[in-house]
Amino acid sequence: MNLILAASLVSLEPGLIFWKSLTFLLLLFLLYKFAWKPILQALKEREESIDASLRRAERALAEARQIQAENERIRREAEQEAQRILREAREEAERLRQEELQKTRVQIQQMQAQARAEIEREKQGALDELRAVVADLAIQAAEKILRESLDADRQRRLVEQFLESLPASKN
Amino acid sequence: MGDRTQIQQGWRRTGLWLAVVALFGLMPRPLLAAEEGEGSENISEVLIHHTADGYYVTLEPFVTIELPRLFLVRTPEGSWRLDVFGSTASALHSDRYVADYEGQRYESPAELEELIAAHHHLYAELHPREGELVLDLSITRHYMFGLIAALLVLALFIPVAQRYRKGIGRTTAPRGVLQNLAEVFIVFVRDEIARPNIGEKADRFLPYLLTAFFFILFCNLLGLVPNLGAATSNLAVTGVLALFTFLIGTIYASKDHWKHIFWPPGVPVYVKPILIPVEIMGLFTRHAALAIRLFANMTAGTLVILSLIGLIFMINALFGALAAWLSTLPSVLLTLFISAIKLLVAFIQAYVFTLLSALFIGMSVAEHGHEHHEHEEEGNETVVHAVPTSDEAQVAVHG
Repeated sequence: MNLILAASLVSLEPGLIFWKSLTFLLLLFLLYKFAWKPILQALKEREESIDASLRRAERALAEARQIQAENERIRREAEQEAQRILREAREEAERLRQEELQKTRVQIQQMQAQARAEIEREKQGALDELRAVVADLAIQAAEKILRESLDADRQRRLVEQFLESLPASKN
Repeated sequence: MGDRTQIQQGWRRTGLWLAVVALFGLMPRPLLAAEEGEGSENISEVLIHHTADGYYVTLEPFVTIELPRLFLVRTPEGSWRLDVFGSTASALHSDRYVADYEGQRYESPAELEELIAAHHHLYAELHPREGELVLDLSITRHYMFGLIAALLVLALFIPVAQRYRKGIGRTTAPRGVLQNLAEVFIVFVRDEIARPNIGEKADRFLPYLLTAFFFILFCNLLGLVPNLGAATSNLAVTGVLALFTFLIGTIYASKDHWKHIFWPPGVPVYVKPILIPVEIMGLFTRHAALAIRLFANMTAGTLVILSLIGLIFMINALFGALAAWLSTLPSVLLTLFISAIKLLVAFIQAYVFTLLSALFIGMSVAEHGHEHHEHEEEGNETVVHAVPTSDEAQVAVHG
């Protein structure tokens, strides 16, 4: 009897097969229409959008890297340019300073030369004037001597007096 | 450290949950066994009745609900008639049916009353008094369990689909336990089962595979619920599922598939007549195996649990009450263990059925030239893959 009962475990009831097929078909249809289609569609869309976003992000990153590299290059160039300008400016300044120094030196030399020439001329003038004054004084002394009919002693005295009256200078 | 405690807590929680599920799964059964089995001789009967299909649903320890009976009858005049009754008892009360029980025929109303009073009418075979029974379309408990599973699947996934329709999960991340959980499984079936086995055409068969996977999973899980059972522990149910796989594989089969069966490539012409029947047989046997594997696994789980519980009553009959009381603890612990295994098996069998379905569908829809191409590519890939692996091994050795 138990064997007969046990056989019911593996029995294939046609009624159950019929109902089961019907139910499963219905389940398949309902799930397909109301569940799987929207869910799978949504998942696909989301995956595509995530994929697209990732690609966009990658592209943006690459672009950003490129821009950064570009900026870096521009900055380096600008730095080099600045240094070049600075160097040039420094050189220019040095050059100008040297030039100025040279000019000043020349000017000073000129001024010195002028001053020396001036002094020389002034000295010459003074000597000439002195000579003239000495000549005048000699003439005046000669006149005085001549006027006071002079003897030899007197003349000598007079000459001595005159020589004494002269300022004690070499020239 | 924090992680480890969390994992431990998680395990503890899982264990607790398993214990609760298992306890619920087994608790009413001793009750029912005690109620029905006056002695140990009835245990195997009870065991089979609770595993086999039947025309009733039990809500133990309260009531047994009889399911409607439908009979397609060919009358003596030669016309067809569909008899519909609310229950087996009302079919017998209608006086149009007689019952066969344990090789004995019950015909008179008094005999039938006696049969109903003894609750044996549910296990009896019914025959119309006049005419011939063509098809017994009665609703059975396994059908009801399948229906409950189907309704649960619908009740779970249609609201989830609504969320996707509303845009949650379409453009944003999925929200909520239900949606996330559903998505994990759906994506698993798609990426781990359908696509690797079917290839390019996978998406066309995905709705079927998903339906089969979740239906089987819910059926299997219902087998853990007290008073319910797994519809998949019925060969007719698993047979229908395998039939669907077979039909889909046949309807969408590629030319190469038929060529492969009726003109097997790569063998001499004189071997072909031997191989052709083998191929055709293989076509049917692998689908039959698909049905039997699922059925046998689910039935075995139920039988083992019931047997372990039945052990207590066997011992009670053989060695007395004290021995029976002593045997309860090991028996219950073993049942708990098997229940946990059943929970695992519920998932594994749903996975295996879907995987094999995908494999068979994939085999029949594959286009040969294309397939060969793919195989070559795969071969190349493995070769390419093998090189870094050996490098890694070398590095590991050097390291």
